[in-house]
Amino acid sequence: MTIDSGEVIALVGVGILLTALYLQSESFVAPLIRGVAFQSLLLGVLLGWLAWTDRSVDLAVVAGLVVVIRAAIIPYVLTRQIRAFRWKVRELHAAHRVTGHALGAVAVTVIAWIVFEETLAPLFPSAAGALPFVLLVQGLLMLATRQNTLVQVIGYLEEENAIVYAAALFARGFPLFVEVVVFLDVLGVTLVGIILSIQRDVTGTPESAHPEELTG
Amino acid sequence: MIALDPREWVLLLLLAPAGGAILALLPNARASEAAARVASTLAVAGALALLVTGATGRWGAYLGLDDLSDVFLTTVAAIYATSTWYSRRYLRAVARPFLTPQTYYALLGAFSFAMIATLLVTDLGLMWIGIEGTTVASALLIVLERRPASVEAAWRYTIIASAGLTIALFALLLLYGATGTLDAFALAAHPPALSLPMEMAVVLGLVGYGTKIGLFPLHTWLPDAHSEAPSPVSAMFSGVLLPSALYAFLRIYRVLPTPVPVSLSDLVLTFGLVTALVAAFLLQRQRSFKRLLAYSSMEAMGLALAGIALGGIAIYGALLLLVAHAFAKSAAFYCSGNVLQETGLRRIDEVRDLRYRLPFTGTAWLLAGFGVTGAPPFGMFLGEVLIVVGALATGDVTVAAILVIAILVSFLGVNSQIGQMVLGPSSAPAAPVRAGAEAGVEYAYLNLGVSLALGVASLPYLTIAIRGAAAVLGGSSP
Repeated sequence: MTIDSGEVIALVGVGILLTALYLQSESFVAPLIRGVAFQSLLLGVLLGWLAWTDRSVDLAVVAGLVVVIRAAIIPYVLTRQIRAFRWKVRELHAAHRVTGHALGAVAVTVIAWIVFEETLAPLFPSAAGALPFVLLVQGLLMLATRQNTLVQVIGYLEEENAIVYAAALFARGFPLFVEVVVFLDVLGVTLVGIILSIQRDVTGTPESAHPEELTG
Repeated sequence: MIALDPREWVLLLLLAPAGGAILALLPNARASEAAARVASTLAVAGALALLVTGATGRWGAYLGLDDLSDVFLTTVAAIYATSTWYSRRYLRAVARPFLTPQTYYALLGAFSFAMIATLLVTDLGLMWIGIEGTTVASALLIVLERRPASVEAAWRYTIIASAGLTIALFALLLLYGATGTLDAFALAAHPPALSLPMEMAVVLGLVGYGTKIGLFPLHTWLPDAHSEAPSPVSAMFSGVLLPSALYAFLRIYRVLPTPVPVSLSDLVLTFGLVTALVAAFLLQRQRSFKRLLAYSSMEAMGLALAGIALGGIAIYGALLLLVAHAFAKSAAFYCSGNVLQETGLRRIDEVRDLRYRLPFTGTAWLLAGFGVTGAPPFGMFLGEVLIVVGALATGDVTVAAILVIAILVSFLGVNSQIGQMVLGPSSAPAAPVRAGAEAGVEYAYLNLGVSLALGVASLPYLTIAIRGAAAVLGGSSP
């Protein structure tokens, strides 16, 4: 039995998209962390598959990095952050807006899909072409609508996943692909590990603050 | 000294901040500071040598220099050096610093290295890594003073700038898909035929790098980070980080064939005009003097971007404005550091009578206000005039009018508020000036001098390089 690469890409892509929609509708932080870890794992599997079919060492390295760093290390650090904050593992701001977030995410998905089809689709002759673009928009949406820093990290990770997904689909010869992915992950770990620790020490809460000094 | 060849100067310029960052981790704080000072001075020497020799060219697959990078490199190296030297005064007055002096100087060196590397590489992917590197290196510097507002500002900076840069990376993917290369120099020398992916890459590049440049409405991190960072770091943010991000965008913009399609130049122009106008009005209602300076930087970036989009002589004006702004704004931030640390106050309405309380700083603060808002004879004045002349040359009076309104509103807003701080009477009698209270103000005067010189005379080598840089961007010179 032969497996069609296009079908694998589309199937995994739909899984990644469904994960993104699930993340938008969740206000508890722990499931969000598990959700983005699962999304990264799906992406890692897809990259591994592409590395195998293309016989590409670069893609294999990126697949390994995505699985190890984004599906394991960063979620582990985030989970420890929740314990360190001794927090109720729920985003207070989003708790009563779950339905709105879910509906908003679906609406944004549809709009992003239409925008892609109207503008960029001719450039990317693939059934899954719109998926990285939609995922990028979902990540931005999460960053813009959430106030919990842990959840914002998850939005950022979604954006990173979108970039790697796009590069894997459309620009596999992209120079410095591995270096860029490593750099994104370094930044991800910096975000999670350092600034959140400082925030815990100084403010004692992962909710974004609105100090009077930062108005205007 | 000039006996070294350009490649060796380039290596010195790259290695000095990197070496300084490593040596700054020495256990002894004074040795760390000395290493940072020597490294930053060597970087200036390297940049000046490249400027004087007028060296351009490529070295290997990834390093290259033209007049455009030369102008930005000189500015970055100079502000890196003055900020490093000014830092001693600032660090001594921070009560419970979050970073040790060693870590502070190491991060400052790494931050500068990332900017200098961005300006010295020819590959757009490496440029992106350099700009992203500035975020990693500088985020922690913002929390030096361990204030909750600083932590929030650092967070907003990191997450918003990074999100924007992800979009910029998307732009590079499109560009690579369309052209098959990310070599900025090769693409500029032989611009490929215009295509939809290239146009989309420019649009996404504008949005992505625009976040880091501080373009409206992507600017939300900028006033927070600038106001909460220690003053020497704010000086680097405002004076050279924003222009470095603009440089990265210009390298993508430069890929477009000349003349740039009207739809794209109009888009860039609109972003520039709206940013300048919004910032000019927003700065009227600022209560913190450091946020006032931050919005003024945003206005300057808007003007510069508008100048680039207008083309012709406005490009020269935009580049002159960027250089003069870097020197004047860094001077303003050094003054703000002195005021902040000596008065312990951040609000404009709480600080009065600086002419007696800190006479040298107060005078420099007043002059810096004029310098950053384009009062004659500072360099920014000439830059702003040339941008407006460029707008008139295109026959678009509306654009020229918007530029003039933004410039005037910003001028009045900044100088009236700084004027009140310096000249406004205080209800309390002025205390005698504390010994050492005005330390570091000499760096403000030094940078103000450069900004002034750019307006009154043709600075040797630098003016020539700015002319060359304008030519690289397809502009003309007076």
